[in-house]
Amino acid sequence: MESKVLTEQGQRCLQGLMRVWFEFERNLNRVPIVMRLESGRFTLQDYRKLLLNLRQQVIEGSRWITRSASSFDRDYADVRSVVIGHAKDEHRDYEILEQDYVAAGGKLDDILTAPRNAGTEALHAFLMYRASQPNPVDMVGAMWIIEGLGQKMAAGWADRINELTGGDGSYVNFMGYHGENDADHMEKLYSLLDRVCTGDKTARDIIRTATVVSRLYALQLEEIDND
Amino acid sequence: MSVYITSTGSHLPGPPIDNEQIEPLLGYIRGKSSRMKTRILKSNGIQTRHYAIDKDHNTTISNSEMAALAGAACIESSYVPKQKVSMLSCATSQGDLVLPGFGSMVQAQMKLADVELHTSHGICSSSLMALKAAYTNLLAGEHDNALVIASELASRLFKASRYEAVDVENAIDFNAEFLRWMLSDGAGAFLLETAPREKSFKIEWIRSYSHADAYPVCMSVGRTHRSNELRTWQDFPSYAEAEAAGALLIRQDVRLLDNMVKLGVDGFLRLIDEQRVDPVNVDHVLCHYSSDYFRSRIFEMLTMAGVAIPEEKWYTNLYTRGNTGCASLFIMLDEFKATQSFKAGDTIMCMVPESGRFNTAYMLLTVVDGA
Repeated sequence: MESKVLTEQGQRCLQGLMRVWFEFERNLNRVPIVMRLESGRFTLQDYRKLLLNLRQQVIEGSRWITRSASSFDRDYADVRSVVIGHAKDEHRDYEILEQDYVAAGGKLDDILTAPRNAGTEALHAFLMYRASQPNPVDMVGAMWIIEGLGQKMAAGWADRINELTGGDGSYVNFMGYHGENDADHMEKLYSLLDRVCTGDKTARDIIRTATVVSRLYALQLEEIDND
Repeated sequence: MSVYITSTGSHLPGPPIDNEQIEPLLGYIRGKSSRMKTRILKSNGIQTRHYAIDKDHNTTISNSEMAALAGAACIESSYVPKQKVSMLSCATSQGDLVLPGFGSMVQAQMKLADVELHTSHGICSSSLMALKAAYTNLLAGEHDNALVIASELASRLFKASRYEAVDVENAIDFNAEFLRWMLSDGAGAFLLETAPREKSFKIEWIRSYSHADAYPVCMSVGRTHRSNELRTWQDFPSYAEAEAAGALLIRQDVRLLDNMVKLGVDGFLRLIDEQRVDPVNVDHVLCHYSSDYFRSRIFEMLTMAGVAIPEEKWYTNLYTRGNTGCASLFIMLDEFKATQSFKAGDTIMCMVPESGRFNTAYMLLTVVDGA
Protein backbone atom coordinates (compact mmCIF):
# COMPACT_ATOMS: atom_id res chain seq x y z
CA MET A 1 0.00 0.00 0.00
CA GLU A 2 1.22 3.47 -0.91
CA SER A 3 0.99 6.44 1.38
CA LYS A 4 -2.53 7.77 1.03
CA VAL A 5 -1.68 11.43 1.21
CA LEU A 6 1.41 13.13 -0.08
CA THR A 7 1.80 16.42 1.73
CA GLU A 8 3.30 16.66 5.19
CA GLN A 9 0.30 18.59 6.53
CA GLY A 10 -2.07 16.11 4.96
CA GLN A 11 -0.18 13.23 6.52
CA ARG A 12 -0.29 14.76 9.99
CA CYS A 13 -3.99 15.39 9.63
CA LEU A 14 -4.56 11.81 8.45
CA GLN A 15 -2.73 10.54 11.53
CA GLY A 16 -5.03 12.61 13.71
CA LEU A 17 -8.09 11.34 11.84
CA MET A 18 -6.92 7.74 12.25
CA ARG A 19 -6.61 8.29 16.01
CA VAL A 20 -10.15 9.75 16.09
CA TRP A 21 -11.43 6.79 14.11
CA PHE A 22 -9.82 4.17 16.39
CA GLU A 23 -11.28 5.96 19.41
CA PHE A 24 -14.67 6.08 17.67
CA GLU A 25 -14.58 2.34 17.02
CA ARG A 26 -13.91 1.71 20.71
CA ASN A 27 -16.74 4.06 21.67
CA LEU A 28 -19.09 2.35 19.24
CA ASN A 29 -18.30 -0.98 20.89
CA ARG A 30 -19.41 0.49 24.22
CA VAL A 31 -22.85 1.39 22.83
CA PRO A 32 -25.35 -1.24 24.06
CA ILE A 33 -26.84 -2.17 20.67
CA VAL A 34 -23.36 -2.52 19.09
CA MET A 35 -22.19 -4.46 22.13
CA ARG A 36 -25.05 -6.89 21.54
CA LEU A 37 -24.05 -7.18 17.89
CA GLU A 38 -20.39 -7.81 18.73
CA SER A 39 -21.12 -10.30 21.49
CA GLY A 40 -23.70 -12.22 19.46
CA ARG A 41 -26.88 -11.23 21.32
CA PHE A 42 -28.43 -9.21 18.53
CA THR A 43 -32.00 -9.87 17.40
CA LEU A 44 -34.03 -9.05 14.33
CA GLN A 45 -35.93 -6.55 16.47
CA ASP A 46 -32.60 -4.86 17.28
CA TYR A 47 -31.88 -4.67 13.57
CA ARG A 48 -35.22 -3.06 12.81
CA LYS A 49 -34.66 -0.54 15.58
CA LEU A 50 -31.23 0.20 14.17
CA LEU A 51 -32.59 0.85 10.67
CA LEU A 52 -35.47 2.90 12.03
CA ASN A 53 -33.04 5.16 13.86
CA LEU A 54 -30.49 5.35 11.05
CA ARG A 55 -32.98 6.41 8.40
CA GLN A 56 -33.38 10.02 9.43
CA GLN A 57 -29.66 10.55 9.51
CA VAL A 58 -29.22 8.89 6.12
CA ILE A 59 -31.85 11.18 4.60
CA GLU A 60 -30.27 14.23 6.20
CA GLY A 61 -26.86 12.98 5.07
CA SER A 62 -27.44 14.11 1.52
CA ARG A 63 -28.62 17.50 2.78
CA TRP A 64 -25.52 18.38 4.74
CA ILE A 65 -23.28 17.24 1.93
CA THR A 66 -25.11 19.37 -0.63
CA ARG A 67 -25.18 22.26 1.84
CA SER A 68 -21.41 21.92 2.23
CA ALA A 69 -21.01 21.95 -1.55
CA SER A 70 -22.93 25.19 -1.87
CA SER A 71 -20.84 26.82 0.87
CA PHE A 72 -17.60 26.49 -1.10
CA ASP A 73 -16.78 29.63 -3.09
CA ARG A 74 -14.95 29.91 -6.42
CA ASP A 75 -11.53 29.32 -4.82
CA TYR A 76 -12.72 25.89 -3.85
CA ALA A 77 -14.61 25.01 -7.04
CA ASP A 78 -12.60 21.78 -7.41
CA VAL A 79 -13.49 20.72 -3.88
CA ARG A 80 -17.12 21.56 -4.56
CA SER A 81 -17.10 19.24 -7.59
CA VAL A 82 -15.90 16.32 -5.50
CA VAL A 83 -18.46 17.01 -2.78
CA ILE A 84 -21.32 17.28 -5.31
CA GLY A 85 -20.29 13.95 -6.84
CA HIS A 86 -20.34 12.41 -3.42
CA ALA A 87 -23.79 13.77 -2.60
CA LYS A 88 -25.19 12.53 -5.90
CA ASP A 89 -23.97 8.99 -5.20
CA GLU A 90 -25.81 8.80 -1.91
CA HIS A 91 -28.88 10.97 -1.93
CA ARG A 92 -31.33 8.12 -2.58
CA ASP A 93 -29.63 5.57 -0.31
CA TYR A 94 -32.40 5.83 2.26
CA GLU A 95 -34.80 4.10 -0.14
CA ILE A 96 -32.70 0.93 0.02
CA LEU A 97 -32.70 1.25 3.79
CA GLU A 98 -36.50 1.47 3.83
CA GLN A 99 -36.80 -1.63 1.64
CA ASP A 100 -34.47 -3.49 4.04
CA TYR A 101 -36.65 -2.44 6.94
CA VAL A 102 -39.74 -3.87 5.30
CA ALA A 103 -37.90 -7.04 4.23
CA ALA A 104 -36.83 -7.48 7.86
CA GLY A 105 -40.45 -7.50 8.93
CA GLY A 106 -41.02 -3.81 9.64
CA LYS A 107 -43.98 -1.72 8.50
CA LEU A 108 -43.17 0.89 5.88
CA ASP A 109 -45.40 3.42 7.59
CA ASP A 110 -43.44 3.06 10.86
CA ILE A 111 -40.11 3.95 9.30
CA LEU A 112 -41.58 6.75 7.21
CA THR A 113 -43.11 8.44 10.21
CA ALA A 114 -40.45 7.79 12.85
CA PRO A 115 -39.05 11.00 14.37
CA ARG A 116 -35.34 11.69 14.75
CA ASN A 117 -33.95 10.48 18.01
CA ALA A 118 -32.16 12.93 20.32
CA GLY A 119 -28.72 11.94 19.04
CA THR A 120 -29.81 12.34 15.42
CA GLU A 121 -31.15 15.82 16.19
CA ALA A 122 -27.80 16.83 17.67
CA LEU A 123 -25.79 15.23 14.87
CA HIS A 124 -27.92 16.77 12.15
CA ALA A 125 -27.90 20.22 13.77
CA PHE A 126 -24.14 20.20 14.11
CA LEU A 127 -23.55 19.00 10.55
CA MET A 128 -25.91 21.61 9.05
CA TYR A 129 -24.33 24.36 11.15
CA ARG A 130 -20.79 23.46 10.11
CA ALA A 131 -21.82 22.92 6.48
CA SER A 132 -23.27 26.43 6.39
CA GLN A 133 -19.96 28.12 7.21
CA PRO A 134 -18.02 29.67 4.31
CA ASN A 135 -15.63 27.13 2.74
CA PRO A 136 -16.30 24.42 5.34
CA VAL A 137 -13.14 22.38 4.75
CA ASP A 138 -13.55 20.78 8.19
CA MET A 139 -16.44 18.77 6.71
CA VAL A 140 -13.74 16.45 5.41
CA GLY A 141 -13.56 15.30 9.04
CA ALA A 142 -17.30 14.58 9.06
CA MET A 143 -17.03 12.68 5.80
CA TRP A 144 -14.12 10.67 7.23
CA ILE A 145 -16.34 9.38 10.03
CA ILE A 146 -19.50 8.79 8.02
CA GLU A 147 -17.70 7.11 5.12
CA GLY A 148 -15.55 5.04 7.47
CA LEU A 149 -18.70 3.84 9.10
CA GLY A 150 -20.14 2.83 5.74
CA GLN A 151 -17.08 0.68 5.16
CA LYS A 152 -17.32 -0.80 8.63
CA MET A 153 -20.99 -1.68 8.14
CA ALA A 154 -20.27 -3.30 4.81
CA ALA A 155 -17.17 -5.17 5.94
CA GLY A 156 -18.42 -6.31 9.31
CA TRP A 157 -21.97 -5.52 10.24
CA ALA A 158 -23.94 -6.68 7.19
CA ASP A 159 -22.75 -10.30 7.36
CA ARG A 160 -22.79 -10.32 11.15
CA ILE A 161 -26.40 -9.13 11.30
CA ASN A 162 -27.43 -11.61 8.67
CA GLU A 163 -25.72 -14.45 10.58
CA LEU A 164 -27.12 -13.53 13.99
CA THR A 165 -30.67 -13.00 12.80
CA GLY A 166 -30.72 -16.06 10.54
CA GLY A 167 -31.25 -13.99 7.41
CA ASP A 168 -30.68 -14.88 3.77
CA GLY A 169 -29.05 -11.58 2.85
CA SER A 170 -32.30 -10.08 1.61
CA TYR A 171 -32.53 -7.33 4.21
CA VAL A 172 -28.93 -6.12 4.62
CA ASN A 173 -28.63 -4.42 1.22
CA PHE A 174 -28.18 -0.91 2.55
CA MET A 175 -25.22 -1.86 4.71
CA GLY A 176 -23.69 -4.15 2.13
CA TYR A 177 -24.15 -1.83 -0.83
CA HIS A 178 -23.14 1.25 1.07
CA GLY A 179 -19.64 -0.16 1.41
CA GLU A 180 -19.09 -0.57 -2.32
CA ASN A 181 -19.26 3.14 -3.01
CA ASP A 182 -17.51 4.10 0.18
CA ALA A 183 -14.14 2.56 -0.73
CA ASP A 184 -14.07 4.89 -3.73
CA HIS A 185 -15.25 7.79 -1.58
CA MET A 186 -12.39 7.16 0.85
CA GLU A 187 -9.87 7.48 -1.98
CA LYS A 188 -11.40 10.85 -2.89
CA LEU A 189 -11.23 11.88 0.74
CA TYR A 190 -7.48 11.23 0.83
CA SER A 191 -6.94 13.52 -2.13
CA LEU A 192 -9.21 16.13 -0.53
CA LEU A 193 -6.98 16.04 2.54
CA ASP A 194 -3.97 16.91 0.41
CA ARG A 195 -5.96 19.66 -1.28
CA VAL A 196 -7.46 21.44 1.72
CA CYS A 197 -5.03 20.67 4.53
CA THR A 198 -2.63 23.54 4.06
CA GLY A 199 -2.01 24.65 7.62
CA ASP A 200 -2.16 23.58 11.26
CA LYS A 201 -5.45 25.37 11.83
CA THR A 202 -7.22 23.53 9.01
CA ALA A 203 -5.87 20.22 10.32
CA ARG A 204 -7.12 21.04 13.82
CA ASP A 205 -10.56 22.03 12.47
CA ILE A 206 -10.88 18.84 10.43
CA ILE A 207 -9.91 16.68 13.40
CA ARG A 208 -12.21 18.63 15.72
CA THR A 209 -15.20 18.15 13.44
CA ALA A 210 -14.40 14.45 13.07
CA THR A 211 -14.27 14.18 16.87
CA VAL A 212 -17.62 15.92 17.38
CA VAL A 213 -19.33 13.95 14.62
CA SER A 214 -18.02 10.67 16.02
CA ARG A 215 -19.32 11.54 19.49
CA LEU A 216 -22.73 12.56 18.19
CA TYR A 217 -22.96 9.50 15.98
CA ALA A 218 -22.33 7.27 18.98
CA LEU A 219 -24.98 9.26 20.87
CA GLN A 220 -27.44 8.60 18.06
CA LEU A 221 -26.85 4.86 18.46
CA GLU A 222 -27.03 5.08 22.25
CA GLU A 223 -30.44 6.71 21.91
CA ILE A 224 -31.81 3.65 20.11
CA ASP A 225 -32.28 1.89 23.43
CA ASN A 226 -33.85 4.98 25.01
CA ASP A 227 -36.85 4.95 22.71
CA MET B 1 18.25 5.07 38.08
CA SER B 2 18.24 3.07 34.87
CA VAL B 3 17.44 -0.56 34.23
CA TYR B 4 19.23 -2.76 31.71
CA ILE B 5 18.65 -6.17 30.19
CA THR B 6 22.16 -7.52 30.76
CA SER B 7 21.60 -11.13 29.73
CA THR B 8 19.12 -13.21 27.77
CA GLY B 9 18.40 -16.91 27.43
CA SER B 10 15.89 -19.25 25.84
CA HIS B 11 14.84 -22.86 25.61
CA LEU B 12 13.00 -24.54 22.75
CA PRO B 13 11.96 -28.13 23.46
CA GLY B 14 12.77 -31.05 21.16
CA PRO B 15 13.73 -30.87 17.50
CA PRO B 16 12.26 -28.35 15.03
CA ILE B 17 9.00 -29.69 13.61
CA ASP B 18 8.21 -28.77 10.01
CA ASN B 19 4.74 -28.29 8.53
CA GLU B 20 4.49 -31.90 7.32
CA GLN B 21 5.28 -33.27 10.76
CA ILE B 22 2.73 -31.27 12.76
CA GLU B 23 -0.40 -33.31 12.24
CA PRO B 24 1.21 -36.76 12.72
CA LEU B 25 2.54 -35.40 16.03
CA LEU B 26 -0.56 -33.58 17.31
CA GLY B 27 -2.79 -36.31 15.92
CA TYR B 28 -5.58 -36.62 13.38
CA ILE B 29 -8.91 -35.59 14.92
CA ARG B 30 -11.24 -38.58 14.60
CA GLY B 31 -8.74 -40.03 12.17
CA LYS B 32 -9.23 -37.28 9.60
CA SER B 33 -6.73 -34.85 8.18
CA SER B 34 -7.54 -31.20 8.82
CA ARG B 35 -9.08 -29.27 5.96
CA MET B 36 -8.04 -25.92 7.39
CA LYS B 37 -4.39 -26.68 8.11
CA THR B 38 -2.87 -25.76 4.75
CA ARG B 39 -4.70 -22.48 4.52
CA ILE B 40 -3.77 -21.38 8.05
CA LEU B 41 -0.11 -22.43 7.70
CA LYS B 42 0.17 -20.61 4.40
CA SER B 43 -1.20 -17.48 5.98
CA ASN B 44 1.03 -17.52 9.06
CA GLY B 45 4.20 -18.39 7.13
CA ILE B 46 5.68 -20.45 9.99
CA GLN B 47 8.05 -23.14 8.67
CA THR B 48 9.26 -24.85 11.86
CA ARG B 49 8.36 -24.81 15.55
CA HIS B 50 8.94 -26.86 18.71
CA TYR B 51 6.66 -28.96 20.88
CA ALA B 52 7.04 -30.21 24.42
CA ILE B 53 4.96 -33.30 23.63
CA ASP B 54 5.90 -36.33 21.55
CA LYS B 55 3.81 -38.23 19.01
CA ASP B 56 2.45 -40.48 21.77
CA HIS B 57 1.34 -37.29 23.52
CA ASN B 58 3.67 -37.71 26.46
CA THR B 59 4.80 -34.36 27.82
CA THR B 60 8.56 -34.39 27.30
CA ILE B 61 9.26 -31.36 29.48
CA SER B 62 6.92 -29.35 31.70
CA ASN B 63 6.24 -25.65 31.33
CA SER B 64 8.08 -24.81 34.56
CA GLU B 65 11.04 -26.99 33.51
CA MET B 66 11.28 -25.14 30.19
CA ALA B 67 11.09 -21.83 32.03
CA ALA B 68 13.83 -22.99 34.40
CA LEU B 69 16.12 -24.01 31.51
CA ALA B 70 15.65 -20.62 29.83
CA GLY B 71 16.33 -18.94 33.18
CA ALA B 72 19.44 -21.06 33.72
CA ALA B 73 20.74 -20.23 30.23
CA CYS B 74 20.19 -16.54 30.96
CA ILE B 75 22.01 -16.73 34.32
CA GLU B 76 24.87 -18.77 32.83
CA SER B 77 25.67 -16.09 30.32
CA SER B 78 25.43 -13.32 32.93
CA TYR B 79 27.67 -11.90 35.63
CA VAL B 80 25.17 -12.67 38.38
CA PRO B 81 25.39 -15.99 40.22
CA LYS B 82 22.13 -17.79 40.79
CA GLN B 83 22.42 -17.24 44.55
CA LYS B 84 22.31 -13.47 44.02
CA VAL B 85 19.08 -13.34 42.02
CA SER B 86 16.87 -11.06 44.06
CA MET B 87 13.54 -11.06 42.23
CA LEU B 88 11.84 -13.61 39.97
CA SER B 89 9.04 -12.45 37.70
CA CYS B 90 7.33 -15.04 35.50
CA ALA B 91 4.68 -15.09 32.79
CA THR B 92 2.69 -17.81 31.09
CA SER B 93 -0.75 -18.35 29.63
CA GLN B 94 -1.18 -21.66 31.36
CA GLY B 95 1.06 -23.14 34.03
CA ASP B 96 1.36 -26.86 34.64
CA LEU B 97 -0.85 -26.45 37.69
CA VAL B 98 -3.95 -24.28 37.94
CA LEU B 99 -2.64 -23.26 41.37
CA PRO B 100 -0.22 -22.15 42.81
CA GLY B 101 1.17 -19.36 40.66
CA PHE B 102 3.55 -20.28 37.86
CA GLY B 103 6.40 -18.32 39.47
CA SER B 104 6.40 -20.59 42.52
CA MET B 105 6.89 -23.66 40.36
CA VAL B 106 9.66 -22.01 38.34
CA GLN B 107 11.42 -20.82 41.48
CA ALA B 108 11.35 -24.35 42.93
CA GLN B 109 12.56 -25.82 39.66
CA MET B 110 15.47 -23.37 39.52
CA LYS B 111 16.21 -23.69 43.24
CA LEU B 112 16.31 -19.94 43.74
CA ALA B 113 16.32 -18.97 47.41
CA ASP B 114 14.50 -16.06 49.07
CA VAL B 115 13.47 -14.21 45.91
CA GLU B 116 10.66 -11.68 45.71
CA LEU B 117 8.15 -13.39 43.47
CA HIS B 118 5.75 -12.14 40.83
CA THR B 119 3.55 -14.03 38.36
CA SER B 120 1.63 -12.30 35.62
CA HIS B 121 -1.23 -14.07 33.96
CA GLY B 122 -2.61 -13.33 30.51
CA ILE B 123 -1.67 -14.27 26.98
CA CYS B 124 1.03 -12.80 24.72
CA SER B 125 1.44 -9.51 26.57
CA SER B 126 1.83 -11.15 29.99
CA SER B 127 5.60 -11.30 29.43
CA LEU B 128 5.79 -7.53 29.13
CA MET B 129 3.61 -7.24 32.25
CA ALA B 130 6.07 -9.47 34.12
CA LEU B 131 8.94 -7.46 32.69
CA LYS B 132 7.33 -4.17 33.71
CA ALA B 133 6.76 -5.42 37.26
CA ALA B 134 10.45 -6.31 37.54
CA TYR B 135 11.56 -3.10 35.79
CA THR B 136 9.55 -0.87 38.13
CA ASN B 137 10.80 -2.84 41.16
CA LEU B 138 14.36 -2.04 40.11
CA LEU B 139 13.49 1.59 39.31
CA ALA B 140 11.96 1.93 42.77
CA GLY B 141 15.20 0.71 44.32
CA GLU B 142 13.60 -2.41 45.77
CA HIS B 143 16.04 -4.74 44.03
CA ASP B 144 19.21 -4.44 42.01
CA ASN B 145 18.51 -7.42 39.79
CA ALA B 146 15.56 -9.49 38.61
CA LEU B 147 15.18 -12.58 36.48
CA VAL B 148 12.17 -12.40 34.17
CA ILE B 149 10.97 -15.57 32.44
CA ALA B 150 8.16 -16.12 29.94
CA SER B 151 7.22 -19.66 29.00
CA GLU B 152 4.47 -21.40 27.07
CA LEU B 153 3.36 -24.98 26.65
CA ALA B 154 0.32 -24.68 24.43
CA SER B 155 0.69 -27.99 22.59
CA ARG B 156 -1.03 -29.97 25.33
CA LEU B 157 -4.24 -28.24 24.24
CA PHE B 158 -3.75 -29.38 20.66
CA LYS B 159 -3.71 -33.14 21.13
CA ALA B 160 -6.31 -34.79 18.91
CA SER B 161 -7.82 -36.41 22.01
CA ARG B 162 -8.78 -32.97 23.35
CA TYR B 163 -10.92 -32.30 20.30
CA GLU B 164 -12.32 -35.82 20.29
CA ALA B 165 -13.56 -35.31 23.84
CA VAL B 166 -15.99 -32.71 22.55
CA ASP B 167 -19.51 -33.96 21.81
CA VAL B 168 -20.18 -34.30 18.12
CA GLU B 169 -23.02 -31.78 18.21
CA ASN B 170 -20.54 -29.19 19.47
CA ALA B 171 -18.69 -29.31 16.17
CA ILE B 172 -15.06 -28.19 15.99
CA ASP B 173 -15.34 -24.95 14.09
CA PHE B 174 -12.65 -22.84 12.48
CA ASN B 175 -12.24 -20.71 15.60
CA ALA B 176 -11.52 -23.78 17.74
CA GLU B 177 -8.99 -25.23 15.31
CA PHE B 178 -7.25 -22.03 14.22
CA LEU B 179 -4.67 -21.85 17.00
CA ARG B 180 -3.73 -25.50 16.56
CA TRP B 181 -1.76 -24.41 13.50
CA MET B 182 -0.46 -21.21 15.05
CA LEU B 183 0.96 -21.81 18.52
CA SER B 184 3.88 -23.87 19.80
CA ASP B 185 6.12 -24.19 22.84
CA GLY B 186 9.19 -22.44 24.21
CA ALA B 187 10.61 -20.19 26.92
CA GLY B 188 12.72 -17.05 27.09
CA ALA B 189 14.40 -15.16 29.92
CA PHE B 190 15.92 -11.74 30.61
CA LEU B 191 18.14 -10.67 33.47
CA LEU B 192 17.60 -7.08 34.59
CA GLU B 193 20.24 -5.08 36.45
CA THR B 194 20.68 -1.45 37.43
CA ALA B 195 24.07 -1.15 35.72
CA PRO B 196 24.94 -2.20 32.17
CA ARG B 197 27.32 -4.97 31.11
CA GLU B 198 28.66 -5.44 27.60
CA LYS B 199 25.96 -5.65 24.92
CA SER B 200 23.17 -4.58 27.25
CA PHE B 201 19.78 -3.12 26.43
CA LYS B 202 18.68 -0.10 28.43
CA ILE B 203 14.93 -0.12 29.01
CA GLU B 204 13.77 3.38 28.09
CA TRP B 205 10.14 2.65 28.92
CA ILE B 206 7.46 -0.04 28.84
CA ARG B 207 3.85 0.92 28.16
CA SER B 208 0.69 -0.97 27.36
CA TYR B 209 -2.85 0.05 26.44
CA SER B 210 -5.62 -2.38 27.23
CA HIS B 211 -9.00 -2.19 25.49
CA ALA B 212 -10.93 -4.98 27.21
CA ASP B 213 -13.75 -2.56 28.06
CA ALA B 214 -14.45 -1.93 24.38
CA TYR B 215 -14.06 -5.34 22.76
CA PRO B 216 -15.39 -8.84 23.28
CA VAL B 217 -13.10 -11.75 24.14
CA CYS B 218 -11.08 -12.74 21.09
CA MET B 219 -8.88 -15.57 22.35
CA SER B 220 -9.95 -17.81 25.19
CA VAL B 221 -9.92 -21.09 27.04
CA GLY B 222 -12.91 -21.73 29.28
CA ARG B 223 -15.95 -20.89 27.16
CA THR B 224 -17.98 -22.76 24.59
CA HIS B 225 -18.48 -21.51 21.05
CA ARG B 226 -22.00 -20.38 21.90
CA SER B 227 -21.96 -16.67 22.49
CA ASN B 228 -25.18 -16.82 24.50
CA GLU B 229 -23.72 -19.49 26.84
CA LEU B 230 -22.94 -17.67 30.07
CA ARG B 231 -21.39 -20.66 31.85
CA THR B 232 -17.62 -20.91 31.95
CA TRP B 233 -15.76 -24.21 32.37
CA GLN B 234 -16.02 -24.08 36.16
CA ASP B 235 -19.77 -23.56 36.11
CA PHE B 236 -20.46 -26.99 34.62
CA PRO B 237 -21.32 -29.78 37.08
CA SER B 238 -18.12 -31.61 36.14
CA TYR B 239 -15.00 -30.93 34.10
CA ALA B 240 -15.99 -33.83 31.84
CA GLU B 241 -19.22 -32.02 30.95
CA ALA B 242 -17.34 -28.78 30.39
CA GLU B 243 -14.95 -30.59 28.06
CA ALA B 244 -17.78 -32.30 26.17
CA ALA B 245 -19.39 -28.89 25.66
CA GLY B 246 -16.13 -27.63 24.15
CA ALA B 247 -15.47 -25.21 27.01
CA LEU B 248 -11.86 -26.35 27.42
CA LEU B 249 -10.80 -25.78 23.82
CA ILE B 250 -8.54 -22.86 23.04
CA ARG B 251 -10.42 -20.53 20.71
CA GLN B 252 -9.71 -17.52 18.59
CA ASP B 253 -12.59 -15.41 17.33
CA VAL B 254 -10.96 -14.71 13.98
CA ARG B 255 -13.69 -12.24 13.03
CA LEU B 256 -12.27 -9.84 15.62
CA LEU B 257 -8.59 -10.23 14.73
CA ASP B 258 -8.40 -7.23 12.43
CA ASN B 259 -8.98 -4.99 15.45
CA MET B 260 -5.55 -6.08 16.62
CA VAL B 261 -3.90 -4.32 13.71
CA LYS B 262 -5.82 -1.10 14.27
CA LEU B 263 -5.18 -1.06 18.01
CA GLY B 264 -1.50 -1.86 17.47
CA VAL B 265 -1.16 1.11 15.12
CA ASP B 266 -3.31 3.30 17.41
CA GLY B 267 -0.94 2.58 20.32
CA PHE B 268 2.07 3.38 18.17
CA LEU B 269 0.54 6.73 17.14
CA ARG B 270 -0.16 7.51 20.82
CA LEU B 271 3.47 6.80 21.73
CA ILE B 272 4.57 9.15 18.96
CA ASP B 273 2.14 11.81 20.26
CA GLU B 274 3.48 11.32 23.79
CA GLN B 275 6.97 11.77 22.31
CA ARG B 276 8.13 8.47 23.69
CA VAL B 277 9.35 7.43 20.27
CA ASP B 278 10.14 8.98 16.91
CA PRO B 279 9.82 6.40 14.13
CA VAL B 280 12.67 8.06 12.24
CA ASN B 281 15.08 7.22 15.07
CA VAL B 282 14.15 3.56 15.45
CA ASP B 283 16.97 1.27 14.27
CA HIS B 284 15.38 -2.14 14.87
CA VAL B 285 11.82 -3.36 15.27
CA LEU B 286 10.98 -6.57 17.10
CA CYS B 287 7.26 -7.13 16.79
CA HIS B 288 5.42 -10.18 18.03
CA TYR B 289 2.95 -10.72 15.24
CA SER B 290 1.26 -14.07 15.13
CA SER B 291 1.43 -14.57 11.43
CA ASP B 292 2.92 -13.20 8.26
CA TYR B 293 -0.54 -12.05 7.24
CA PHE B 294 -0.66 -9.60 10.13
CA ARG B 295 2.85 -8.37 9.46
CA SER B 296 1.73 -7.05 6.10
CA ARG B 297 -1.50 -5.60 7.53
CA ILE B 298 0.44 -3.73 10.24
CA PHE B 299 2.82 -2.50 7.59
CA GLU B 300 0.04 -1.22 5.37
CA MET B 301 -1.59 0.71 8.14
CA LEU B 302 1.67 2.21 9.44
CA THR B 303 2.38 3.30 5.87
CA MET B 304 -1.04 4.87 5.60
CA ALA B 305 -0.36 6.83 8.80
CA GLY B 306 3.02 7.87 7.42
CA VAL B 307 4.93 6.32 10.32
CA ALA B 308 6.19 3.13 8.70
CA ILE B 309 9.63 1.92 9.71
CA PRO B 310 11.50 0.45 6.70
CA GLU B 311 11.12 -3.28 6.32
CA GLU B 312 14.86 -3.99 6.59
CA LYS B 313 14.76 -2.77 10.20
CA TRP B 314 12.24 -5.44 11.21
CA TYR B 315 13.59 -8.62 12.72
CA THR B 316 11.67 -11.76 13.63
CA ASN B 317 12.33 -15.45 14.15
CA LEU B 318 8.63 -16.35 14.00
CA TYR B 319 9.11 -18.43 10.86
CA THR B 320 11.68 -20.79 12.41
CA ARG B 321 10.85 -20.72 16.14
CA GLY B 322 7.08 -20.51 15.86
CA ASN B 323 4.57 -18.41 17.74
CA THR B 324 5.31 -19.11 21.39
CA GLY B 325 2.78 -16.64 22.81
CA CYS B 326 4.19 -14.60 25.67
CA ALA B 327 7.64 -16.18 25.24
CA SER B 328 7.96 -15.00 21.63
CA LEU B 329 9.45 -11.57 22.24
CA PHE B 330 11.98 -12.93 24.75
CA ILE B 331 13.06 -15.71 22.39
CA MET B 332 13.25 -13.12 19.61
CA LEU B 333 15.50 -10.71 21.51
CA ASP B 334 17.72 -13.59 22.62
CA GLU B 335 18.29 -14.68 19.03
CA PHE B 336 18.55 -11.09 17.82
CA LYS B 337 21.34 -10.51 20.33
CA ALA B 338 23.21 -13.62 19.27
CA THR B 339 22.86 -13.33 15.50
CA GLN B 340 22.18 -9.75 14.39
CA SER B 341 24.53 -6.82 14.08
CA PHE B 342 23.79 -3.76 16.16
CA LYS B 343 25.85 -1.10 17.86
CA ALA B 344 25.82 1.03 20.99
CA GLY B 345 23.20 3.77 20.70
CA ASP B 346 20.89 1.76 18.43
CA THR B 347 17.25 1.85 19.46
CA ILE B 348 15.02 -1.21 19.42
CA MET B 349 11.25 -0.85 19.35
CA CYS B 350 9.45 -3.90 20.74
CA MET B 351 5.74 -4.46 20.20
CA VAL B 352 3.44 -7.14 21.55
CA PRO B 353 -0.18 -6.75 20.46
CA GLU B 354 -2.29 -9.33 22.30
CA SER B 355 -5.62 -10.45 20.93
CA GLY B 356 -6.91 -12.10 24.16
CA ARG B 357 -9.10 -9.15 24.94
CA PHE B 358 -6.95 -6.61 23.17
CA ASN B 359 -3.94 -5.40 25.09
CA THR B 360 -1.15 -3.77 23.12
CA ALA B 361 2.25 -3.56 24.83
CA TYR B 362 5.35 -1.68 23.73
CA MET B 363 8.91 -1.26 24.93
CA LEU B 364 11.80 0.88 23.76
CA LEU B 365 15.37 -0.31 24.29
CA THR B 366 18.70 1.39 23.63
CA VAL B 367 21.82 -0.66 23.07
CA VAL B 368 24.44 0.17 25.70
CA ASP B 369 27.93 -1.22 25.91
CA GLY B 370 28.85 -1.06 29.55
CA ALA B 371 32.08 -3.03 29.22
